[in-house]
Amino acid sequence: MTAAANLLSDPFNLVITGVGGQGNVLASRVLGSMLTQKGYSVTIGETFGASQRGGSVMSHLRISSKGTWSPQIPKGRAHVVVSLEPTEALRVLYEYGNPDVYVLCNTRPVHSIAVISGQFKYPEQDELRQWIRDLSAKAWFLEATGAAMAMGNAIFANIMMIGALSAADILPVDKDTFKDAVSNMMAADKVSVNCDAFARGADMLLAEGISGA
Amino acid sequence: MSELIEGKPGQRYLLMGNQAIARGALEAGVSVAAGYPGTPSSEIIENLAKVADEANMYVEWSSNEKVAAEVAAAASFAGLRSLCVMKQNGVNVASDFLLHLVGGGTRGGMVIVPCDDPGALSSINEGESRHFARMLEIPLLEPGDFQEAKDMVKWAFELSEQIGNLVMLRSVTRLSHASGSVKLGALPENRPRARFRHGGFVLDPQEGAVTSAPVAYKHVLQQEKLEKAESLFEDCPFNTYTGPENPELLVITSSACNLYCREAIEILGVSDRAGLLKLGTTWPLPKKLIRTHLENCSKVLVVEEVIPFLEENLKVLAAELAMEIGPRTIFAKRDKTIPSVGEMNPDYVIAALVKIFDLSYEAAPADYVEKAGLCVMAGAPGRDLTFCPGCPHRASYWTLHNVLALDNRDGFICGDIGCYSLGMRETGYYALKTMHAMGSGTGLASGFGKLDQFGMDQPIVAVSGDSTFFHSVIPALVNAVHYNADITLVVFDNSGTAMTGFQPHPGLEVDAMGHDAPSIDIESVCRAVGAQTTVCDPFDMELTRDILLEKITGKNGVQVLIFKQSCALSPEKKGKPRYEMHLDENICIGENCGCNKLCTRVFKCPGLNWDEKNQHARIDEVICAGCGVCASVCPTGAITKKERA
Amino acid sequence: MQIYGPGELLDDVLQTGLCISCGACVHLCPYFATWRGKTAMMFSCDRKQGRCHAFCPKTEVDLDQLSSKANNADYTGAPMGAYQQVFMARAGDKSGGGDFQDGGTVSALVRFALETGRIDAAVLTGRNGLMPSPGLVTHSGEVAAFAGSKYTAAPTLVSLNDGIKQGYGRMGVVGTPCQMTAVAQMRSNPMQDSDFSDPVALTIGLFCTWALDARGLLAFMEKRAPEEEILKIRIPPPPAGILVLETQSRTIEIPLDDIRSLVPEGCRVCPDMTAEWADVSVGAMEGEDGWNTLVVRSEKGLKLAEDAASAGYIVLADFPETSLSHLNTAAAAKKKRAFDRACSQGLVNTEKGGRAVLRVNKQALEKMISEPGGIHE
Repeated sequence: MTAAANLLSDPFNLVITGVGGQGNVLASRVLGSMLTQKGYSVTIGETFGASQRGGSVMSHLRISSKGTWSPQIPKGRAHVVVSLEPTEALRVLYEYGNPDVYVLCNTRPVHSIAVISGQFKYPEQDELRQWIRDLSAKAWFLEATGAAMAMGNAIFANIMMIGALSAADILPVDKDTFKDAVSNMMAADKVSVNCDAFARGADMLLAEGISGA
Repeated sequence: MSELIEGKPGQRYLLMGNQAIARGALEAGVSVAAGYPGTPSSEIIENLAKVADEANMYVEWSSNEKVAAEVAAAASFAGLRSLCVMKQNGVNVASDFLLHLVGGGTRGGMVIVPCDDPGALSSINEGESRHFARMLEIPLLEPGDFQEAKDMVKWAFELSEQIGNLVMLRSVTRLSHASGSVKLGALPENRPRARFRHGGFVLDPQEGAVTSAPVAYKHVLQQEKLEKAESLFEDCPFNTYTGPENPELLVITSSACNLYCREAIEILGVSDRAGLLKLGTTWPLPKKLIRTHLENCSKVLVVEEVIPFLEENLKVLAAELAMEIGPRTIFAKRDKTIPSVGEMNPDYVIAALVKIFDLSYEAAPADYVEKAGLCVMAGAPGRDLTFCPGCPHRASYWTLHNVLALDNRDGFICGDIGCYSLGMRETGYYALKTMHAMGSGTGLASGFGKLDQFGMDQPIVAVSGDSTFFHSVIPALVNAVHYNADITLVVFDNSGTAMTGFQPHPGLEVDAMGHDAPSIDIESVCRAVGAQTTVCDPFDMELTRDILLEKITGKNGVQVLIFKQSCALSPEKKGKPRYEMHLDENICIGENCGCNKLCTRVFKCPGLNWDEKNQHARIDEVICAGCGVCASVCPTGAITKKERA
Repeated sequence: MQIYGPGELLDDVLQTGLCISCGACVHLCPYFATWRGKTAMMFSCDRKQGRCHAFCPKTEVDLDQLSSKANNADYTGAPMGAYQQVFMARAGDKSGGGDFQDGGTVSALVRFALETGRIDAAVLTGRNGLMPSPGLVTHSGEVAAFAGSKYTAAPTLVSLNDGIKQGYGRMGVVGTPCQMTAVAQMRSNPMQDSDFSDPVALTIGLFCTWALDARGLLAFMEKRAPEEEILKIRIPPPPAGILVLETQSRTIEIPLDDIRSLVPEGCRVCPDMTAEWADVSVGAMEGEDGWNTLVVRSEKGLKLAEDAASAGYIVLADFPETSLSHLNTAAAAKKKRAFDRACSQGLVNTEKGGRAVLRVNKQALEKMISEPGGIHE
C-alpha cells in the first residue's frame, strides 16, 4: 500500500451518476478499490433500489486521508461529476454542483419512459452540452457508449469513463492501479478487455484536451 | 475468492456495510445464518452463503423471516452462535416468534440484524425495527460507521451470551449499502458441537425446556437480562464522545446520522461549540453515561431518522434526572428541528445547527442553484422506474390489463411486494390497485372474493411473485380455496427472488450456498390445495390472454394461473438475447390511425424509441434484450423477431 | 358529419351506454376490442380524429350525407328510407335449405352472391350459446351455420375489418340497420385515406326494432336455462309479445316486457327499422309464415334479387298493400320514438361544437317527429 498523496481537497467528493443498468455501481466499486489501494480512506454511498429498473442512480465517493465521511455528499459540494448519461449530469449538478465542479459526461442518451411515451421531449445535444458547460468549471463530453459498442458491448462505457477520469489529472490513479483493482474483482478472462476499455477512455479524454471542452 | 474470508487481519479493505456485518459474524464464529431477501439487507446472507463451505457454516434463505428467526434460534438452543437477517418489514413477520423467543431466552449467542430503510429508498414504508427492541425488551445496538458495523457484531454475540437473550443490531440503508474502509480482525478456528440439552430441570436456562412460560417467572428474568445489558452499556466502547468538555450544544445521535453530524459540525466549524455523543447502544439507554453528558450541557440536539425513538427515550431519562440536574432544552423531531419522515443527510444537520447557533450557510451560490434548477426543469425529464427490457412482468401486466379492460366489468388486481409492485406505475399500465405486505394481494383478494353477496360484481385478480408465494401467499390461498372466493391468482414465476438480486427460493433446485436442493413445485402446491391451476408462458400473449379471459369470466372459485418465464437478469438470460429484433420503417405507421405509437406511447419498453424526425419507432440496440414481445404488440407487423443462432 | 377521435367516442358512446357493440371500431387499431358482446377501449389514444369515430353509427351520423351518397338527394324522412321495390321473398329450391328463421331469403342471397362471384367473402353473424359470434365465410356451404335471427347486439363488423386486413376486396355484409349505417360511413372514406378502396360489394340489411344486450340476456337467462342447452331463440311476429327459447327438452316463453330493460340505450335512439343504407333489406313477413319481406333499394340490389330469382335461389312474390302500410307505420313509429328521445336529450343537430348523435335536415326531422306513432314496439 502506498502512502496517500495530497488530494485537491480532503475529502475529495466525486459523484458517479447514470441510469440503472449502466454499471454505475461497478464503476464506483472499481474506483473505490483503486483509491483504497493508493492508501486513501474511501467512503461510497449509493442507492441500489433502482439500479436495474431504469431509474436515476448515483454513487457518492468521498476520498480522504483522514477517515470515513458521510456516504452522502453535502449539497453543493461535489468536486467531480462523472455522468454515464447527460441529463443525469444536470440532475446531479442541481443538487451537488457548484461553479468549480468538473464534469465528465458520456453523451449517449438513455430515454426515460416519459420520453419514450412522448410526455417529455429529450433535450438536444447542443443544448445539453451548453447547460453542463454553464454549470461547471471544466466539462468533457465523450462518446463512451459508442466506443464501447465498437468494442463489442455498450456496458464498457462505465469503465471508459473511469479511464477518462484517470487521464484528467484529478485523482492519483492510472492503468496499473486499475489493473490491480479489477484483477481482484473480476474473472481473469475479463481483465484484459476491461483494461482496454479503461485505456480507450483515457485516450478519448486526452483527445478532447486536458482542459476540457 | 472473497475478501470476506481471505482478507488479512489488521489490514484495511473497502467493504460495503453489509459485507462488514458479514465479516463481523465470521470473526464472531457464527455457525448458522438465516434470512429472507429484502433491500437493504440481502448482501449479508449472500456474502455469508458464498463462504459457507469454507467457513464451515450453514446459511439459508428461509421461506420467510419468521422461519429464518426460528432456524437461527434452533442453532442458538443447540449452543451455536447464530444470526438472522432481514429488512425492516421482515421483523414484523418474525415478531410473533421473537416475542416468544425473548421470553424464554437464548443459549448460543443469537443476533438479529434488521436493515431499516429510512426514506423508503427501496421499500413502500418507513417502518422501523428499533421500537421492536423496546417491545421485545432486548438490547439494541446501532453501528455508527463501517468499522463498527463489523466490530459490533462480535460484541453483540458476546452480549447475547452474557445475558442469555437475543440482541438486535440495527443497520440502515446508508450503512448497509454504503462502503467504507474496514480493518479486519482474526477469524476463529474452532466450531462448537451442536446439542440441544432438554433433560434437565424444567426451568434451567441451559438444560431445561425452552419457552416463555411460566410468564410471571420468565418475564422477570427477561427484564433482569435487560438491566444487565444496560449496565454493560455504561462502558460500551461504541458509545463515544468528541467535543469540548462543556459544549454549548450536545448533539446525541446514532447509526448513519453519526457521519452526518460529524460532517455538519466540521463544515460549519463549530467543533469548539458542539459536542457529539454517538451512541452505539440505543436501547436501553445507559443512564449514567447520559447523565454525565447532560450535566455538562444545557442544550441538546437529537439527530435520528424517522420515529423519535432516541428522542423519547432520552426525554424519559431527562425527566427522571430533572430534579437533580435541572431541565434541559432538547431540540429534535417533536419541535420540528429535525424532520419526522425521510432519511437524514448532512444538510439537515447543518440546517439544525444553523438554526440553533444562528449561523448562515449557503451550500452553493444562489444564482448557481437557480440556474441549475432551470436546466433540470428544461433538460432532465423525470425517470420513473420501469420494468427492465425483456422483463416478463411487462408482458404479464400488458395481458392482465388488456384482459380486465376487455372483460369490461371494472376488474382489478391486488398485489404486494416484489418487482411486480411496479404494476402500480406507468410501466405496469397502472393495473395493480392494492399493494401492501408480502402475500397481502392474495389475502385481500380472498376477502374481495366474498363480497358478491353485497353486490360486488367486479372480477378480482391477485398477483404474487414466486418467492412471495412461498413467503406468505400459501396461507391466503388456502383461505381463499376453503371459503370458495371467486378469484384468480396469477403467480409471476420468474425463477428467483428478482427484486433483491436473484436469490434462490424453495421453488428452485439450488439453495443459498449453491448446493443441490429439492424444489417445491408451485403448480403442485396449488393443485394440492384444490385450486384449478394452469401454467403458461406470458410471452405467448395470445394464449395467455385466452386462458386468463376464461379464468376471470366464470364464478368458479379459486383459479390459479402460473406465468412461467425467467427474469431478464437471471443468469441463464442476462446478456443472451433470444431474438434479433427488426423494425421495418416502411411498415411502421407511427402516429397514424391504426397504431398511434402503440409500442412507444403505450407499451413503453425502454428498448423502443420514437424517432421524431422520421416519424417511426426504432429499436435501441443498446437496451433491447431481445425478448420478442414487442413483435406481438405491434399492430402492423412492422416489428419482427428472428431467433438468434 | 363531424369526425372526432377516440376520446370523444369513449365519452359520447362507450360511457353513455349508446354503444351497441356493432364492431365497427374494433380491429381498426389496437385500442378498441370486443368481448362477450361488449366493446371496450383498451388504452387511451390521443388522436384528434379517428376511423373509430368516423365509422361509429352512434355518433355524428349525418343522414343527409348518407342519403346524398346513396341517392343523390337529401334525406326525406320517409319511414322505410329510399327504395325501388318491396317483395315477398323466400328461399328457392336451389338455395340448399337451412335452419333459417322465416323465409331463408338472406341465406339464399348470400349463397347466390358467393357462388356467382359477386362477393369474395361474406360477413355474417352466428351464435355461440347466447353470445353472437361474427364470422367471415368464403364458401356457400358455410352460410347455413349462420342462419337464424340473433336478437342480441353483435360485433359483426369485426369480421369486416378482419376481412379487409386479410385482403378481401368484394365482401358482402349482412347486418342490422346500425351496422349498415357504419358500413355506409366506412365506405364513404370519411378520413380520406389516399389508399382507400371500397372493400364491400354487397350489403344486405336486416330489419330491427331493437336488440338485447348480450351479457344482460345471458345473466337473465342464467336462472331460466343453461346457456349451452339453448338451441334456438325467436320472437314471433306481433301481437305475440314473447321471446321463445327452445332447448332440447322444452320451450320457454318470456314476455317481452320482462326483457325490455335489456335493450341498450343505443337502440332507443335508432331511427332505422328497415336498414335504409343497404342494397337490399330483409325482414319477417307479418301474417305469412315462411316468407320474408324484401326491400330492394339499389340497382345492384335489384339485379341481385332478379338474378337470384331467375336462378331459383329465391322466390319472389308481390308484396300486399296492407302489409306495406303496416310496415310503414311501424318504421315511422320507430323514427318518431327515436328522434323524440334523441331530441329530448339534446343529441340531434347540436350547434356550436356540441357533438350530435344524429344530424338531419329540418324538414325531414319535422316530418319524422310529427308522424303519428301507433304501433307497439
